[in-house]
Amino acid sequence: MSFLKLIGVELKKIRRSHIFWILLIPVILLWIPTLINYDFIMNPATDGLSPEHNFFIQSFMGLAWFMFPASMVVCTVLLIQTERGHGGMMKMLALPVSPAALCMAKFVVLLLLAAVQVALMTAFYYPCAAIASHLNDYNLILSPLFVLREAGIFYLSGIPMAAVFWLIAVCVRTPIFSMGIGLASIVPSVLAINTKVWFAYPMCYPFYRIMILMSELPNGGTVHMELIPLLPMAIGLTIVCLTGACLFFGKSERR
Amino acid sequence: MTFQLELKKLKRTGFFPAILGGGLIAAAFPILNTAARPEMFISQPLPALDILMNANSQMIVMLNLCLAVIGACMIYHTEFSGNAMQKMESLPVSVGKLFFDKTAILLIALFAALLIEHMALAFCALYWFPEQSGLFTALLKNLEYSFALLIPPCIILMIFSSLCRNMWITLGAGVICIFTVSVLPTDNRILSFFPFSLPFQTLAGAEDANWIFVTLAGCAAEIVLAVLAEAVILKVRRHCA
Repeated sequence: MSFLKLIGVELKKIRRSHIFWILLIPVILLWIPTLINYDFIMNPATDGLSPEHNFFIQSFMGLAWFMFPASMVVCTVLLIQTERGHGGMMKMLALPVSPAALCMAKFVVLLLLAAVQVALMTAFYYPCAAIASHLNDYNLILSPLFVLREAGIFYLSGIPMAAVFWLIAVCVRTPIFSMGIGLASIVPSVLAINTKVWFAYPMCYPFYRIMILMSELPNGGTVHMELIPLLPMAIGLTIVCLTGACLFFGKSERR
Repeated sequence: MTFQLELKKLKRTGFFPAILGGGLIAAAFPILNTAARPEMFISQPLPALDILMNANSQMIVMLNLCLAVIGACMIYHTEFSGNAMQKMESLPVSVGKLFFDKTAILLIALFAALLIEHMALAFCALYWFPEQSGLFTALLKNLEYSFALLIPPCIILMIFSSLCRNMWITLGAGVICIFTVSVLPTDNRILSFFPFSLPFQTLAGAEDANWIFVTLAGCAAEIVLAVLAEAVILKVRRHCA
């Protein structure tokens, strides 16, 4: 069975899971207050930040600090729990497919779900920016180049985090602990971005990126971000986590 | 009788270690926070507990709500996996009683977590702050207040949990509710009665005695409404199934 087909099967499994609504509702909840809080948008807390950038940053920050990581945790629970009922894992392992491929197919689905949320966020940006511009008599719409680039970077910065959550979900068999560790690891990301070793904490990457935008955009509009400790660390962590997840996938059923 | 059975069901799910562990993490937070920069807190002209609550309560409440969410997910998950719920419904046990027992377990476990956190706050107050009178009464009041405000979100989470066969929907709904709090403007009095915003209120942040009374009254009203809603849901569901 080809890898693409495996992904198709995984997608079919979650078709009736209502996960789409869990991804969609927070995005709507995020955009409504930005439409109501005019003052907040027009008078940015950071000096020199333009209202249009503020509009974009405030909403994405709301997603980055809690909801995006939390959605990932919910998705990992979904992907793992669909196999737990009715001995699904046993049946999967009895197929002529390597468990590592199954594990990676599920991880790709997790990434797809993350992509759906970021895409929804971006899709809602334009109508909301248009309405807010109309209400404020001020053009809040940013160029698509900037928005798409930032949404893309935001998404990419979430991949190491998804890998860590996936490793936790695969290795920690007791659901309450895998959910608990996931949710508990989100809360300190606010503290982590203020430390020197933030790059060692993947849960804060998307948040850190938004904070960089907030501090760098007022200085002439170019965004400069140090890539050196971050990129090797992020790639290394992702590879280690995925290798671990592939090794441990279905371990207890294979005994 | 059924209460003990419920406890037994949770024995192997890791429910109690998870809640207690979460309580310990939340308890460690004020200690670490104060240890890192004691001079910043001691210099403030407020009672020790108020300073500590202002600095740490948000993080602690956030963790407590996360604990409530995963706890609620787990409590009903044991019923839905393996279709135990159908078996329970065929027994001479009322589903209302089941819900009541399960909610009581969640609340007791969270009370234990709150107790641990308050012990940590007491430790901070005694260790770093100058001697002061009335610390323990204040702590006790604070404990009662935070516990009372935690009840409405817990009941609502249990309603989600009893409704949804799949754990991720309960988890997702709970997480979305917590997230909604961060989106709501904090200066609006009416919005502070949103069940998941209630626990974020502190005695230190209350304006006067009346304010506290109104908050508690709102909390009580929400508890009554939530229980009524669950009673209706259980009735309707049984007719459907």
